[in-house]
Amino acid sequence: MRRVPTQRFVLGFASLAAMVLAYTVLSNAHLFRPEVVPPTQEIAVAFTELVVGARPPPVTEGDMHAGHHGHSSAHVGTLLQQGVTLQDSLAITAARVLFGLAAGVPLGVLLGVLMGWSRRADDYLHPLYVLLRSVPPLALITYVMLWLGHGEAHRLIPIVYAVAATMVIPAYHGVRDVLVTYVVAARSLGARRWLLVRKVLLPAAGPALLAGLRYAVAIAWMTAVGAEMLMSENGMGNLIVGGGLWASRTQTKADPAVVIVGIVTLAAAGWAMDALARSATARLTRWVR
Amino acid sequence: MPPKKDNFFSGPGIRTRTARALLSVGALAVVYGIASEIGRGRLPDRIWLGTHYVENVQLLPPYPSLAEETTFLLESGILTSSIAVSAGRVLLGLLLGGAFGILLGIATGRATRAEYLADPWVTFFRFTPALALLPLFVLWFGYGEGSKVLLIATSVAVVTILGAHQGVRSVPRVYLDAAAALGASPGLAFRKIVLPAALPHIFASLRIGLGLAWVTIVVAELIDARMPSLGYLLTLAGAYPRVPTMVVGIATIGALVLAFDLLALWVHARATRWMRRTA
Repeated sequence: MRRVPTQRFVLGFASLAAMVLAYTVLSNAHLFRPEVVPPTQEIAVAFTELVVGARPPPVTEGDMHAGHHGHSSAHVGTLLQQGVTLQDSLAITAARVLFGLAAGVPLGVLLGVLMGWSRRADDYLHPLYVLLRSVPPLALITYVMLWLGHGEAHRLIPIVYAVAATMVIPAYHGVRDVLVTYVVAARSLGARRWLLVRKVLLPAAGPALLAGLRYAVAIAWMTAVGAEMLMSENGMGNLIVGGGLWASRTQTKADPAVVIVGIVTLAAAGWAMDALARSATARLTRWVR
Repeated sequence: MPPKKDNFFSGPGIRTRTARALLSVGALAVVYGIASEIGRGRLPDRIWLGTHYVENVQLLPPYPSLAEETTFLLESGILTSSIAVSAGRVLLGLLLGGAFGILLGIATGRATRAEYLADPWVTFFRFTPALALLPLFVLWFGYGEGSKVLLIATSVAVVTILGAHQGVRSVPRVYLDAAAALGASPGLAFRKIVLPAALPHIFASLRIGLGLAWVTIVVAELIDARMPSLGYLLTLAGAYPRVPTMVVGIATIGALVLAFDLLALWVHARATRWMRRTA
């Protein structure tokens, strides 16, 4: 029992450490330009700078910063000037993700359950759903902006849309694939409406819904960051591409150290949210099998 | 509770279903037509974008102007060449990422050690939005074709690794034991048991990857933004803004996603014809 988790941990850790070490050696070997492949220590510096945030530069720090001058890039400088910090950006993106989930999950589940439950609703709504779902959420962002203006709403709508479109499928199949025998049995025992939904459908569809939720969390992060890269003045997507309005961003030179800090942070945040979803799944479906 | 005739126990036949599908799509088209006619001249055409006003915006372009725009985009060859370029990138990325992901997923599914070694990296990339890699890829692989295709390949690979891994893992142990007892070599067992059993999972993940690839391309085509490409067409239309172009672009991407998805479903159905299906 105990050996397997240990081996998993050791090998996993070794693989991470080996890659970080290899990267450190390679990036310090003067094979690449540091603006392209930043050395590990510069990534660490970028991380601390972005966490600590802007502060009035003390005189004594002048020398220290001179050493890292190649690193304290225009990208970091611009971000700090705007008062951006890593944790604030993460909080903003996380808030958008959570809003997208809070609004998108009920919407998608409602539609999925309706289509899964009623054949008529399925016949009418499924073709529309397939058409709508085919449009990538980020492709809509410019059009939504025209309706709602350049504000918070038009960044949130693609996230809500992506989450809802993702949740329809598990809800649909969760309800549809409930064994007919269960429903017939429950009905013949006199279960109706609410009792049938609560005691038969929800428990049967639960695992599929929760699995779908984990997928929706990942989609929500991806859409939120994409929307921020295209159209936002804050959040992780903005941190990664480094300010400026969306139209001019194609020309901005991003500092790879900041990008790597951003990516690692996003991966950690996504993983943490998934771990939460996973433990919720385990708790809520304890009765399975 | 729906009436008994109308739930999933007994339902109307395929003709009723087709009629209903046509009816609902048709109704949507008619509603749009009416809305755009009502909106003409009533919806605001001057819009504040936070930094500046844009003029002459048709929020709901009526059908004639959509048709006009489509004809223009088709006749000038913009739309067809954009479709060819973007679909080519998606396919190439899908091919690269799919091959890499499936091979790695099979490896991690077969060998526990490989799984442990790959695990942190799979987790890492799983929760990294592929789009966030964009600036990095531009620096490392240049502004050209490479970064776009690799970005798509990355997002496809991440899902196919998981699909192939789960597929290989889903093979019941008994099958492998039985094959071994009957004297099948590992190679034969792999070809005849593991691969066929993993195929549905692999196809399911490829379909998800296909969807992700199209999301990625819209943003990836902002690097070295250049015509012809659908992503840039949308951006350009957004910058003016020219709503008819936008609507045509969005509809084109939607239609392509749909077509690719149906194609994937068809291939999946053919490749797994031997399986008995309940639904």
